[in-house]
Amino acid sequence: MQRIMFSPVTRLSGLLSVEVFVDQNRVVEANAGSTMFRGFEWAMRNRQVSDAVYMTQRVCGICSLAHGAAASYLLDEMYDHDLTENAQYLRNIMYAADFLQNHIRHFYLFSLPDFVRMPGRPPFHGQNLTDARLNARDNQRLVENYFNAVKAAQQSHEILALFGGKAPHQHSFVHGGVAVSPTADKITQALALCKEIRAFIRNHMVPDTGLIARVYNDYYHIGVTPRCLLSFGLFKFGPKNDRVLWPGGVLYQDQLTFPRVDQIQEEITSSWFAEAQGELKPAPGKPGAYTWIKSVSYAGRPFQVGPLSRMIITGRYNGGTATMDRICARTLETLLISELMEEWLKAVVPGPPPIRQKSEPVKNEVTALTDAMRGTLLHSARIADGQVISYNIITPTVWNFSPKNSSGQRGPVESALVGTEIPRPDMLLTILGRIIRSFDPCLSCGTHALDVGNNIKLVLRI
Amino acid sequence: MQKEAFVQLCRQLSSRRDYNLSQAILNAVGEHRKYNPHKLPVIWLETNDSGDNNIAFMSSVYPYLQEVFDEMIDLLYSNTFMAAQGREALEILFRPAKKFRGRFTLVVEGAVPVKDNGLYNLIARTENHDITALEAVTALGGMAGHVVAAGTCASFGGASAARPNITGSVGVSQVLNREVINVSGCPVNPDWLVGTLAHLLMYGRPELDSLDRPTMFYGFTVHRHCQRRSYFDQKNFAQKLGDIECMFSLGCMGPRTGADCPYRQWINHVSWPVKVNTPCIGCTNEDFPDGSTPFFTPMSKKSPGQ
Repeated sequence: MQRIMFSPVTRLSGLLSVEVFVDQNRVVEANAGSTMFRGFEWAMRNRQVSDAVYMTQRVCGICSLAHGAAASYLLDEMYDHDLTENAQYLRNIMYAADFLQNHIRHFYLFSLPDFVRMPGRPPFHGQNLTDARLNARDNQRLVENYFNAVKAAQQSHEILALFGGKAPHQHSFVHGGVAVSPTADKITQALALCKEIRAFIRNHMVPDTGLIARVYNDYYHIGVTPRCLLSFGLFKFGPKNDRVLWPGGVLYQDQLTFPRVDQIQEEITSSWFAEAQGELKPAPGKPGAYTWIKSVSYAGRPFQVGPLSRMIITGRYNGGTATMDRICARTLETLLISELMEEWLKAVVPGPPPIRQKSEPVKNEVTALTDAMRGTLLHSARIADGQVISYNIITPTVWNFSPKNSSGQRGPVESALVGTEIPRPDMLLTILGRIIRSFDPCLSCGTHALDVGNNIKLVLRI
Repeated sequence: MQKEAFVQLCRQLSSRRDYNLSQAILNAVGEHRKYNPHKLPVIWLETNDSGDNNIAFMSSVYPYLQEVFDEMIDLLYSNTFMAAQGREALEILFRPAKKFRGRFTLVVEGAVPVKDNGLYNLIARTENHDITALEAVTALGGMAGHVVAAGTCASFGGASAARPNITGSVGVSQVLNREVINVSGCPVNPDWLVGTLAHLLMYGRPELDSLDRPTMFYGFTVHRHCQRRSYFDQKNFAQKLGDIECMFSLGCMGPRTGADCPYRQWINHVSWPVKVNTPCIGCTNEDFPDGSTPFFTPMSKKSPGQ
């Protein structure tokens, strides 16, 4: 048996090392490890809870808006705000814009070099793609689209900046609504950008994904995970964020149920944390541990989250749970969200900033759930006198990159890797890289997930 | 183009929609490269941050990323962009570092945790060794021609070092015995980073302020150039987010934040926080975020020590 440390796994956000054990051309064990830790939950303590929207966006640069959104939903409930329809349209337009930049960048900048021969100059030198199958013409077209994608993703962030002030870490999507005034010029500008982005997605991203899926169709059978899929729902409407356009769900043994927060559990068997006096403390170098990510489970089982889970749970995709399914579902979702964004841009009514913030919180404990780009996102806060006592975050990456728990269950990424056949030794990194990146890894996010007080409250708000 | 003219170009301030400082930079770079065929060799390390700075960098407009790669820099190592992976990626980290010793620019994105021997951030692991960010930054920082800290975490610790800072994270300059060019911001504005790299390529070290930030971008406060300065002067303050008056009353850090956001703006120069009726939160500052919180409380009543 051979032990190989796949590190660094490049082309993702943050730092990831995956230790694999290969025996007779087959991966027999995998330990997926996040190697960075920042401890955001500690940083949130003793701050005013209204700081959460801007502070928690700093958890993640590629999905920052999702953290700001989760924190806003949390504060909306804590302060008992009423959201206007215009505020929800604007929020969802910004949400959509950040989704589009994320998915476009992931497919082209991070995933594409797993399938396409890139030019042999920096930063693409040393690619060593041992299983390149595209003909020269298609290959060239996709390389060109890598750089066209740079522009489409930039345009997506331009829409976010138009309404949010900047990107990443936008400013206007806060609790109580949106601080920017939707005016005809901004709406028109965003619509024009949206049109170009949609054209890129329709004319390039969708066919390019189709091409990769056809040429590498064996990846519909490689990197398969158990069919345990979870979503907290995406795109909230209604005065109390109570209408969810894409409802959440738990898919287990082909039964679809609504998610319940009380079924979520975290543990630290394989994580660099130790428990002392009822509190978790970081414990780098803890024997047997290999990651800063905790194991998270729903009803005692690891669950996969992300575009594939959303698309299957909402009945938009009926494929399997392999590498290519994840890639295709992400592109499908990109297309759908670009259409929604245009619809919402046309629905916004020009007017004053749709924001109304009440001054005093009426609740001291709230858990907010949404989906981010990579899957389920949970923010949970306990406060006193407006100051944070504890703030907990469970990011999508924690679900997908869960390390082995006390009963030895593997998280989705580890499950996808184990059992993979490696026909030739020089194909190892190429194959593993494709599987791992199909989950859209973001380790900057994963590293903060720490339920400091171990007190996720049993509040159901899907 | 002479250095002074280039700096002047970077300072040229306009809020027109078609304002593109970076296009002008690109022309200047093209002119420069007639005489100097070498691009700037760059090694980019990601340490403790949120990845927001590489995302911001991807949103550079004129030059777009392709032009940056084709015309300006040879990005020899970057966890974000490089096609190589695993051990092969690690090998091409150290080989060019030796080949371009003294000539390459080290860009660090993120703070460096120093507590517990830096074990809170491993840039890579091998079968028998963990390479901490502390080790990598120290080693490569000693070999680089210039060191650039991209973003506030790398410059000063930033959000990664927010109190109580349980990982003991610090800015890059704290672990290196040499000058670090701090291009702060949370995230960095792509113009600031691309402009700094362009300056290094063509003219070497840019003029720096007391916090070692290029004065061409950080030389004036947000307050000085703010579109809402007239409201401030007339003591006409916003009551709530969404108002059009001066945001000082809602915690704006503009008066003590060096950055050209009011002119330059963000993402193809379309907007910035005050333009969307929210305060500047001082994200380029040495004491961000602790010195800026509570974000919506006026400056005199903020409580950094808490």
